[in-house]
Amino acid sequence: MEGSGQISRRDFLKDAGLVVGTPALGSMIAADQSATRTTKTSDSAKGSLPSPSSCAEGLHMVELTVNGGKYRCAVAPHWSLRQLLRDQIGLTSPKDWCGGLGACGSCTVIMNGRPILSCLTLACQCSGATIETAEGIAKSRHPIIQAYINNNAFQCGYCTPGFVCTAKALLDRNNNPTEEEIRDALGGNLCRCATYQRHPPAVLEAARNLRQSA
Amino acid sequence: MKTWKRFEHIDAKTVDEAASILRTGKAVVISGGTDILGAMRFEILPNYPEVVVNLKSIPGMDYIKEEAGVLKIGALARLEDIAKNALVRSKYTALAEGAHRTATPHIREMGTLGGNICQMTRCWYFRIPDNRFYCIRKGGKTCYAMAGDNRYHSIFGAVKMCLAVNPSDTAPALVALNARIKTNKRLVEAEKFWDMSIPGSTILDQDEIVTEIQIPTPPPGSRSAFIKFAIRKSIDFPIVNCAALIGNNTVRICLNAVHNRPYRATAAEEVIKGRAITEENADAAGAAAVASARALPGDRNKWKIPIAKAMVKRAILACE
Repeated sequence: MEGSGQISRRDFLKDAGLVVGTPALGSMIAADQSATRTTKTSDSAKGSLPSPSSCAEGLHMVELTVNGGKYRCAVAPHWSLRQLLRDQIGLTSPKDWCGGLGACGSCTVIMNGRPILSCLTLACQCSGATIETAEGIAKSRHPIIQAYINNNAFQCGYCTPGFVCTAKALLDRNNNPTEEEIRDALGGNLCRCATYQRHPPAVLEAARNLRQSA
Repeated sequence: MKTWKRFEHIDAKTVDEAASILRTGKAVVISGGTDILGAMRFEILPNYPEVVVNLKSIPGMDYIKEEAGVLKIGALARLEDIAKNALVRSKYTALAEGAHRTATPHIREMGTLGGNICQMTRCWYFRIPDNRFYCIRKGGKTCYAMAGDNRYHSIFGAVKMCLAVNPSDTAPALVALNARIKTNKRLVEAEKFWDMSIPGSTILDQDEIVTEIQIPTPPPGSRSAFIKFAIRKSIDFPIVNCAALIGNNTVRICLNAVHNRPYRATAAEEVIKGRAITEENADAAGAAAVASARALPGDRNKWKIPIAKAMVKRAILACE
């Protein structure tokens, strides 16, 4: 991956996502399915998505807003929101750690203002939803991002998108939380590196910056 | 990540529509989805549903309102909304605290009260992926916890040979607050709502759906409380929890996660009735509550008995 001419898997997925990410409707279904195929070929070991031919029937059309962009996607009834975000829209921030038990919080996204687990949400139930992922929070230059960097509130970084989404949802409702409220709100996110002590100061700093800029 | 096997998904428009789909025997209902989707993903049950019926598409079932001295909570009200509701917190404290101590913030944002009281047991033989233990709760013939590792299992004996416990944090609060559960077929007292069934935890018929939870306003001068013991403060299911409502000649105490259904500690109620809430009396009530508790052969779950005693004591003291 060092060579400049090589494309990393992540860049490849992001490019595949961009095809879908164009906020235009119309030929989106075809684009979705080509994205599904590209994702699949880049990681053939995972290949659990049905091929386009097998999902022609029984699909649900969902229209949703993700990070401000409008999407229209055809999803099978048994797909999770996490699958839709990662494999079709190309947003890789909702992680999978606990394997879909709802026990780790690393797949957290903000749906209609609530921090929810995208691994335990059916994609076909998300029609009309407004969803925000860590990518969108970073892109909007929300103070939580810089606060996490300033406080070194991560080590390996795998759980960070989940923490950032949960913290942002808290700050959206309450821009002056106490440390206790922060600990309570982040209680569903696990961090294997155990960087727990650094999260409350980071969120407190973000809250201060939010209030100052308000 | 394990993905779900295929199923059909139907957005119900009314409770009757959902019930009629349930009548086929091939469907399950979904509200928050945090229990059923996990159970389906890991295929813990012998029969995988062909159809998933969404209840969230039924409008107007997530209210929290007080009417004529009764708090009415729609079955689809989310646990986080109940935990944060000022009215529930002030007058129905045990329920607000029970909802607040359930699982994680994310699951409370998704999970509903109706789903929480109908959730299936967390017995690790029942929950093992791919139905590797076809236990009595699934229609089999054996309770594997009887001979196996039963450190989290019932301290008040088996119900129909099943040793699993009810894991709900809101259930004991509803029993203590003398709630009634309304379904599309009947209105039943919370105390009689839970039972060992295959594979559920309630008395609900196949086509029965919880629509509302009704709680009478507690008598003036009374207080309610909820105390939970779990390994971690957040995320974990209870080892033992306890809710109490005390005051104005009313005493109701309910333990959970100690028996197949929420366990009303009537012996403890008798001890505290008419007496002052003091350290000594609360301790005596706690001892009375677990006087009939028995560890399973092998004593693996013996440690839960002193915890249950302490939970009763602390719940009583919290009502002072």
